[in-house]
Amino acid sequence: MSARPLSRGLLSAAPSKHLRSVVPRVAASHSTLVGPNSSPSKDDRSSSEPVTHFGFQTVKESLKSTRVAGVFSSVASSYDTMNDVMSFGIHRLWKDHFVRSLNPGRRPGGQPMSILDVAGGTGDIAFRMLDHSEKVNGDRETTVLCTDINADMLREGEKRAIQNGYDSNRISFRVENAETLESIPDNSVDLYTISFGIRNVTRIPMALRAARRVLKPGGVFACLEFSKVSPAPLDAIYQQYSFSIIPLMGQLVAGDRDSYQYLVESIKRFPPQSEFARMIKDAGLVNVGKGYKELTFGIASIWKGVKPLE
Amino acid sequence: MTVRTNLSHPSIRWMLSKPITSASAASCWSSLTAPRINLPRRYHSYQHPAPGPSSTTAKSAILSASLPHVPSHGFSDTALAFGSRDAGYLDISVNMLPGGVFDLVRYHLVTERLRLGDKIDFRKPENELPEGLRNLDITTKIQILCMERLKANAHIIHRWQEALAVMSLTENIPASMSELAKLSDEIWFLAGDESHDTTWYTKRATLAVVYASTELFMTHDNSKDFEATQEFLGRRLNDLKTAGSAVSNVASYLDFTVHAFANVLRSKNVPFF
Repeated sequence: MSARPLSRGLLSAAPSKHLRSVVPRVAASHSTLVGPNSSPSKDDRSSSEPVTHFGFQTVKESLKSTRVAGVFSSVASSYDTMNDVMSFGIHRLWKDHFVRSLNPGRRPGGQPMSILDVAGGTGDIAFRMLDHSEKVNGDRETTVLCTDINADMLREGEKRAIQNGYDSNRISFRVENAETLESIPDNSVDLYTISFGIRNVTRIPMALRAARRVLKPGGVFACLEFSKVSPAPLDAIYQQYSFSIIPLMGQLVAGDRDSYQYLVESIKRFPPQSEFARMIKDAGLVNVGKGYKELTFGIASIWKGVKPLE
Repeated sequence: MTVRTNLSHPSIRWMLSKPITSASAASCWSSLTAPRINLPRRYHSYQHPAPGPSSTTAKSAILSASLPHVPSHGFSDTALAFGSRDAGYLDISVNMLPGGVFDLVRYHLVTERLRLGDKIDFRKPENELPEGLRNLDITTKIQILCMERLKANAHIIHRWQEALAVMSLTENIPASMSELAKLSDEIWFLAGDESHDTTWYTKRATLAVVYASTELFMTHDNSKDFEATQEFLGRRLNDLKTAGSAVSNVASYLDFTVHAFANVLRSKNVPFF
């Protein structure tokens, strides 16, 4: 706290040219958002609205969701192609493993499950859930509700659901903010999944609390997300790859460098495995084991939490 | 293991030089220094009761409710789902068990190991032991303890091969081996064995092998009250005795030969001898 007036003093004393060179990305983003004349970092501090990160940029909380929406609207059609190109197809293995480890579907003598897939616009996880419950557990009744904040992504998913002949009684799509999940009643969901989506949520703790609210007691929260790579030498290679190659590939394959630049920056900003596990615990869910399981040296991880009985 | 307390260690000397004046000072002192002192000490399971098979109650609630379903549904996801429902959870709640079915197998192994000491404990004074368990030699004690543990598998023996299959999966092998080693240790401990030499290790290793093979034999045993298993176990333990004496005979033969050879070389004035 004591450092803050000092830094503000330093900032206001510094010539504006120097300031821009210290925080070029912030300056660039804010010049378009709040107008070119106002000093960006001064504006962040003086305005009462809290700020958050958008990749490496700092934006007002109210603006992040629209910016994220912009990113995903522009990549919706090429989303899976790009995922394949960037991860050499490994993202499919991760998603398969994610669904298999959850083992959704009705058990002998049990009830069909109600699954909520948040930020699952293109239906990647939802289709796998339905396939798994049908093929492994012989269950044709379990339902999946796909929600996403972005209608473009949902349209993409709906299109695929029709193309692949999924039963419209078992899969539905709805625009929904992960932070509130307004239309979803309390204690109504067996399994809440969010796959490569939680890092785009502005207020993650709020989304976790919403997840706890909609889950039935004993229900499972499961999250698949990029995480921190170890050991260090591998991480160095990974950082090189993600910051120099992925945006380039985004430009070549999808014709959209900025969206993929955001993608790698947002991965970098996401908290480490153990910290996110603690956030899940803080939201009132019980961590499974140590809270997470790493896939492929921690490039991605699976976090699971269970809502306790009252 | 013997207790070796190095009293000249700086941290200990510092402790000894500080007079403890009040209770608050003592508690403050222990909280400050206790984690830093790590003395080698005797370990006995009765002094340090093992924590329950599962640290969280929710997990053990599901697991203990699942075990009664094993005879009919085997070591499977179905048994876990039934157990989860019985414990008041949902079918999907079995995700609480990171190891899945293996957690159920391990739960059975750990609870039965901990229960063994309550059934038979040869460390008690002879007059407190029931009739028929008094004045036995160590091999018989081991045999009785092994049989007692194996009988805990009797009601699920037709499902035990499933458990063995799960235990032999690559990711489960370390935990399974560690559990087998703990059981072997527990059996020797309850038999009242107090060896302090290298046989501590060989005894446990060989018993583990014998136990594992008997357990496998038992899955095919159709005899009444598992008499064939009992005989099999007796033969294996006898083999061990024979093998043990054979090893010591070979060792003394080698010892004699090496010394004799050295003496021959000495008599020829070979350097170094």
